[in-house]
Amino acid sequence: MKVQVEKIGEFLWEIPRSGRMLVPGRIYADDDSMKFLLKESGAKQWDALAQVRNVACLPGIVGASMAMADIHPGYGFPIGGVGAFDPGEGVVSIAGVGFDINCGVRSMLVDVAKERIELNRERVAEELFNSVPAGLGSKGAFKLSVPEIDKVLTEGAAFALERGYGVEEDLEYIEEHGTVGGADPSAVSRRAKDRQLKQVGTLGSGNHYLEVQYVDEIYDSEAASAFGLGPDGIVVSIHTGSRALGHQIGTDYQSVLRNASHKYRIPVPESELIAAPIQSPEGKQYIAAVRAGINCAFANRQAISGLVREALKRLFRLKDNEIRTLYEVGHNNLKMETHDTVEGRRNLLIHRKGATRAFAAGRDDVPARYREVGQPVLVGGTMGTSSFILVGTEQGMVDTFGSSVHGAGRVKSRKQALREYRGEDVINDLAGSGTLIRTRSRKGAAEEAPGAYKDVERVVSIMEGAGVSRRVARLRPMICIKG
Amino acid sequence: MTGRGHETLEHTADMGLRGWGVTPAEAFEETALAMFDLMIDRRGAGAEIDFTLSIGGRDLTGLLIEFLNELLSLSDVEETAFVSVRIEKLQGGGEEWELDAVIGGIPRGKCRKRLLSEVKAATWYGASVDREGDGRWVADCVVDL
Repeated sequence: MKVQVEKIGEFLWEIPRSGRMLVPGRIYADDDSMKFLLKESGAKQWDALAQVRNVACLPGIVGASMAMADIHPGYGFPIGGVGAFDPGEGVVSIAGVGFDINCGVRSMLVDVAKERIELNRERVAEELFNSVPAGLGSKGAFKLSVPEIDKVLTEGAAFALERGYGVEEDLEYIEEHGTVGGADPSAVSRRAKDRQLKQVGTLGSGNHYLEVQYVDEIYDSEAASAFGLGPDGIVVSIHTGSRALGHQIGTDYQSVLRNASHKYRIPVPESELIAAPIQSPEGKQYIAAVRAGINCAFANRQAISGLVREALKRLFRLKDNEIRTLYEVGHNNLKMETHDTVEGRRNLLIHRKGATRAFAAGRDDVPARYREVGQPVLVGGTMGTSSFILVGTEQGMVDTFGSSVHGAGRVKSRKQALREYRGEDVINDLAGSGTLIRTRSRKGAAEEAPGAYKDVERVVSIMEGAGVSRRVARLRPMICIKG
Repeated sequence: MTGRGHETLEHTADMGLRGWGVTPAEAFEETALAMFDLMIDRRGAGAEIDFTLSIGGRDLTGLLIEFLNELLSLSDVEETAFVSVRIEKLQGGGEEWELDAVIGGIPRGKCRKRLLSEVKAATWYGASVDREGDGRWVADCVVDL
């Protein structure tokens, strides 16, 4: 059944509360994007608007079931979905986190002239491609034992740092300083750990990437200056997550949360939207496992950033202080956060499924260096197109629990992309426009063709128009490494 | 649809899989093959090692999800790309279903050039195992890529 929406702002739409909905649905979109979503709603099996509505039916949800401007159909939650839950009455849902726990982006500033990258593009691509394990079945920088994996799950980025990957200062610029508390390795199965023994320090495949980019436009000079971004400045961004361990945690807890949904009589509007009360043993155990997965992703990105750092130092004879972590933030997450709501200050369990934390200036969680301007929000474009660095706003704190978009958002299925594009053509076209692609899978290149995604410029403009986040800089890719 | 076979279904972010056959076992095998096709170019590839697996589920759909996820997990742990599947037993009723299968694969180190993309997990979203009007069994599932 087609979902009904009402326009309540220039870039904001509401699904009014009806039926079993406990709160309204709110979607950030312009007229054209909403037209596309409505066309899909009710007509196709996968319906992002229906997913926003379904999330609004989960017990303990606070404010609204939200979707950022990169909304597209997920499983259970839409991608771009944000849901805040009361820790006493609310539930935790596996669909609000997904199988790639704490998938996210690390961006690093590299003090090397753009011309030097341009002149050595092939060599840089080759060195990075050979330095960072990527693709199905790749093995990481180190092979670990199960007790060592347990340390990864509690220590996060610090684990990789202790083993020589990266520098101490990196931790200051990672969300949560690269380690969340409350992670319990005993809540993670042996199978999940076994799958991860060789995967710490691997990029993966699909939409994961490593990009060398340059700053081609600055929109907010004050914030750009605070972040260390200048015209033509070089940024290296890493997009990956918790790898097989995260996938297995999701798989293992599907049955646990399915049984819990039944046991606690939680209404499940659709089969993947399973959940457990936050205070139930099952909910607590799942949260402890997710936190372990979050730390695993932090360790993974720290390890890869260390490999990238060493490769760039070798190539350009750089010193450690000439490569600095700008920021690292996840976009498939479950976080306990404090927010000001109409009912006063509350602790809330925030689910962000394909949505990025976007905190405003003044929050303690924002690194001191950026605290006067706000948290950097890293928005990955698609392969070969622009990425953006945004900054969180006060309005975003109020309207979206401090959340914004995470990427462009697909509009064409992988199957449709494979029908329309040839991997080789995509790679050649991008080379013609200045982006060198290195990938192990030409099929993957076709699936990730820029035409399969929404225009990222439009996506970030919608969020800026709505006042939820502000553009700081646009990055253009020079080299893109994919699995 | 012919007697047995498989296809992928449009899903904006991820990938839908459909397998069908005369029996639930055939439909399961075909859905597994659809998933293997996302991960490896199976054309002309023969299995070099076999693995057996036994799993259980509370209903046919649950058994399908469990089966596909077990294949993903086993593939990682054994560092093997799977190319063939044979279900030896699929039976049950009520809330107890069980499945035994033999899976054929190639060590990943020996087929790197054939490897395609990772599949993260099989989800319950849109998952079903149903008998159609013409008597064929159809198994659907969305996998996270």
